[in-house]
Amino acid sequence: MKRTVLDYALKIRLPLTLFVIVVSFVLTFYISRAERDGIGYAPEQPIKFSHKLHAGQMGIDCQYCHIGVEKGRNAIVPSVNICMNCHTLARKDRPEIIKLTQYYEDGKPLPWKRIHKVPEYAYFNHSVHVNKGIDCASCHGDIKEMEVVNQAKGFTMTACLDCHRKPHENLPYLKEVKSGPEHCAACHR
Amino acid sequence: MSSSEYNKKIFWKSLKEYHDDPAVFEAKANEFKEGVTDDFNPSQLNSLSRRKFLAALTASAAFAATACTDYRDKGEIIPYNNRPEEILAGRANLYASTCTSCSQACGILVKTREGRPIKIDGNPEHPTNKGKICTKGQASILNLYDPERMTDPQNGNIAVSWASADSDIISALNDSLANGKQVALFTNAVVSPSTKKVLDDFKAKYTNTKIYSYSVFGDDTRRAAWLETYGTTEYPSIKWEEANVILAVDADFLGTEGNFIENTRKFTSRREVVNKIDVNRLYVAEGRMSATGMMSDYRIRISPSAQFEFVLALANEVLENSSVTLNAEVKNLIAQTSLTKFAGGQSKKLSHLVKDLIANKGKSIVYAGDTLSKEVHLAVNLLNEILGNTALYDYSKVSKSLQPSSSNEELHSVADAMNNGNVDTIIHFDCNPVFDLAKSFDYAKALKKVKTVITLTEAENETSVLSTYSLPINHSLESWGDAHVKAGVYSLQQPVISPIFKTRQKEAVLLTWISGSSSVYNDSIYHKYLIDNFNSSIYSKKNSLADQKTFWYSALHDGVVEFNETAVQNSFSQVSFVGLSLPERAAGNTLHLTESYFIGDGKFANNGWLQETPHPVSKITWDNYASISPSFAKQLNLEMNDLVEISVNGKQLTIPVLVQPGVQDTTINIELGYGRKIIGDVGKDVGFDANIFVSLLGKLVYENISIKKVNGTHRLTSTQEHHSLDDTFVKDFHRIRKIVQEGTVEKYKNEPNFLSKEVKKHISITREHEYTGTKWAMSIDLNKCTSCAACVVSCNVENNIPVVGKDQTANGREMQWMRIDRYYSGTPDDPITSNQPMLCQHCDNAPCENVCPVNATNHSPDGLNQMAYNRCVGTRYCSNNCPYKVRRYNFYNFRDHFADAYYENNLTAMVHNPEVTVRSRGVMEKCTFCVQKIMEARSDAIRDGRELKGTDVITACQQACPANAIVFGDVNDEESDIAKIRNHKLAYHVLEELNVKPNVTYIAKLRNTHSEEVI
Repeated sequence: MKRTVLDYALKIRLPLTLFVIVVSFVLTFYISRAERDGIGYAPEQPIKFSHKLHAGQMGIDCQYCHIGVEKGRNAIVPSVNICMNCHTLARKDRPEIIKLTQYYEDGKPLPWKRIHKVPEYAYFNHSVHVNKGIDCASCHGDIKEMEVVNQAKGFTMTACLDCHRKPHENLPYLKEVKSGPEHCAACHR
Repeated sequence: MSSSEYNKKIFWKSLKEYHDDPAVFEAKANEFKEGVTDDFNPSQLNSLSRRKFLAALTASAAFAATACTDYRDKGEIIPYNNRPEEILAGRANLYASTCTSCSQACGILVKTREGRPIKIDGNPEHPTNKGKICTKGQASILNLYDPERMTDPQNGNIAVSWASADSDIISALNDSLANGKQVALFTNAVVSPSTKKVLDDFKAKYTNTKIYSYSVFGDDTRRAAWLETYGTTEYPSIKWEEANVILAVDADFLGTEGNFIENTRKFTSRREVVNKIDVNRLYVAEGRMSATGMMSDYRIRISPSAQFEFVLALANEVLENSSVTLNAEVKNLIAQTSLTKFAGGQSKKLSHLVKDLIANKGKSIVYAGDTLSKEVHLAVNLLNEILGNTALYDYSKVSKSLQPSSSNEELHSVADAMNNGNVDTIIHFDCNPVFDLAKSFDYAKALKKVKTVITLTEAENETSVLSTYSLPINHSLESWGDAHVKAGVYSLQQPVISPIFKTRQKEAVLLTWISGSSSVYNDSIYHKYLIDNFNSSIYSKKNSLADQKTFWYSALHDGVVEFNETAVQNSFSQVSFVGLSLPERAAGNTLHLTESYFIGDGKFANNGWLQETPHPVSKITWDNYASISPSFAKQLNLEMNDLVEISVNGKQLTIPVLVQPGVQDTTINIELGYGRKIIGDVGKDVGFDANIFVSLLGKLVYENISIKKVNGTHRLTSTQEHHSLDDTFVKDFHRIRKIVQEGTVEKYKNEPNFLSKEVKKHISITREHEYTGTKWAMSIDLNKCTSCAACVVSCNVENNIPVVGKDQTANGREMQWMRIDRYYSGTPDDPITSNQPMLCQHCDNAPCENVCPVNATNHSPDGLNQMAYNRCVGTRYCSNNCPYKVRRYNFYNFRDHFADAYYENNLTAMVHNPEVTVRSRGVMEKCTFCVQKIMEARSDAIRDGRELKGTDVITACQQACPANAIVFGDVNDEESDIAKIRNHKLAYHVLEELNVKPNVTYIAKLRNTHSEEVI
């Protein structure tokens, strides 16, 4: 039997091409997964605020600054006056604190870079989760160890549903927790 | 009539349907109207208008800018620099204030999110409106964000600074004072004591000032009649809740007149059938077909020009055994009348009326409409005296008169003075007399003779374009104010947002002129004035233990202060009847001009939400028309949409007709407020300006008019015929489908189970759904619904529902999630109307869910039929399969499509509720039972560590309903109202036989007639 060009194309060239396409797609898909979900995103902030120092070493409670998280949908990024509660006295001479004080005195709001975001069509509610006893770190990662905050976990529907379906695996510290709602209107309206 | 026949009551929705027009059946066979997709021309969609070109330009610039940035960038979070303590992002703040949409000054609660007002509801603590507010009040929030508001002071067409405008005007005022010329200040009705004081101060400073107050619709004739019979203009409120029998004499007291929100609450408190049978009886004697007429148990057709004689004839019938001794002249006048003249097939109703009035002496009320003449009001006052109904007058809540309205003579004399050059400065204090004032004044022409014309207005109007200075003023939500409408009730108005544009509080502008220097103005000038006036007039009255400041803040927090105020209560005087005689009644037609239900006197013509709310009776949107009776239409060979020419006193108007069942044969009714010429793009040239007929202010009934058919038609768009129910099985099948079920009080007393007697048990072939936790459901009491549409507008505002425009409404694409269906039964000349609010029924076995190919609509475990917009691909199968036709499809991005993207801008976007998705093109939507409110209540319950209760959630429609007809809650809570109502003998579901198991329960209407049969 004579090998024709068609044989070569069908038996060798085509499977090889398909193999390369599939493998590169699968690899790219899984390797870029974290990147696409925004994991590891750590933008430079207008003020080099260290969560490691404040929340970690000094042990300030999250809700001292992020007030209202137990009351409503939003976990509020603190307004400048909350920083100034301490920094009118503390470390007034440091360059970043001088920058902060300048913002406060000029009455200008601080444009923090946003790190965590659920899409606009999902209505996530912080207070429901916090009031059920879920730790901030369960979604936001170990902020206490972060010099610059980065996104530690995915904020996708898969991530939400994973926890809603298997709360005990994801939140082992909550013994009494029940599964979360899974119907559309729980998040979308 | 047997009970099976009984329920086969024949309902019809339009005259065409009544006469079995084949076009109607063809239209009903199709889910969407014929040609609904005709205008889908892709090339047209891309046509570039000026607004869209600018939008494209900015968008491309934005694209260029974003293309260069980091794709992972998620933008910024910008917190406050110094956060106000009461504001927490994501939580709404409520502020008590006072509505200024009309002169009733209801208390409101303004909901603000992150500093911007997003919803207006009634203030539950306000004694007058008790937490409810009408369509105008709710939709007025859209005017705050109207892109065509006036932004800067203007001298002619040139924008000027406030300082220069102020100094020019002050010198003009001083000049007129020096030259001894008159300064005329025009205003609508004044209900604010502080505004009244500012006006008085202005008059004290510029002593040559005269103040003219007018309103197109109002209680001027009622006051005038009260003055003649009782010696004071301050008339009492009516205790509707105590009346067993009510006769409304062309009075739309549940629709447009007086504080109809309060009237509705009191009236419907006596339409109680759920817990006990406590039902009043409403007779309506009217020429047109009004919302109140639809609610009546007996409707008597009488021309508005015959009402004087009719009321006197009634007096003649009930005169016997009356404790009132009448003067010979009055007796003589009454004796000339006879009720038989009005019988004409209505004699049975009339004899019931007379018997009821006699049997309920002191427990009935006769109430005349605001649009009728003073003589009718005099006669009604007399009739109530004869019947001893004065017991139902509530003198503790008399209507205050702060600034008496100017008479027609005064207005004529100022018009003359203007023409003679004796007036050289005119100030229009937030009013539009060029459009409003009777045409006999020829106001626009007289205005040309005046040197300085100053108009304070929110947006450009017919008057401002003829003015030397047009000064932009704050919207109600940006203003301070107070109101004293009823005795003993003082309401406060506070701003909830700082002025968006360079506008000023109208009173502050006058205060600046009073001071004589433009530099005196500051933001708080009127605020301080108001507090001072409050302290001297209210604080001093209350003898409060709190200091002034604390008292002020607590009053501001509540929005209202109540105190004791004694009213004059004089005895009845018959002097005014001397010289009255029965008018010679011409045989011709009568024109009755009434107020538009939603756009008022034209003030709200630029509000898309109000223009698009279907008329309570005719369901017409975006138009006014001449409504005529079916037999008169036949006589003139007229059909709906045909044009007619109506002439009154030499003025002609060409206007389309609407054949309205129930209109009296010689009555023609036109609503005013339409046909505005100089206004924003929404209201411009919508409808026809019938104000040209008004020859004297307050005269709204014109006799002996002529009407003739002219060539041509004008398409009126009604929301009633589309969304009809499918009836292909058998012709007439829909008429017996028990969509509306009704009975009478007599029937119910004799046979309480008359509704459920025939209900068959349905067997499902699938297993029933189980609801173990909460299960949401609603009930609507059809005994209480007056079709006022407050629920429709409340839903629009809460759920970000777009305005689609007249062309789209004509295609059946209106987007309101809630509609109020109106069904007629009986004959076209004397129909009985039934109203039924219709919204998503959240069926347990929802047919829409089975057909969605992408599972975008499905059921939640708490019984909601949910709609995930992001999954929806727009097949419209769900709508096709919905038996109730309550799903709405976004054929366009309507914000972009309506009026050249009128509402697609950063300003109007601020009105959106941030808790509800703004839907775009290609997405199906429908009522969600206000899922955002359910979720908020749920998160609050979790925060407080308690179980969520059904009563924690109040839906937008329920919150708005002035009749409290809507109940919402958890049916699995056996103690709840909703669970009890669902098992009530009068409760039924629409289209029960489909076994879709709807979760909206209707309470069948019981009519309070003398028979067991509805018709």
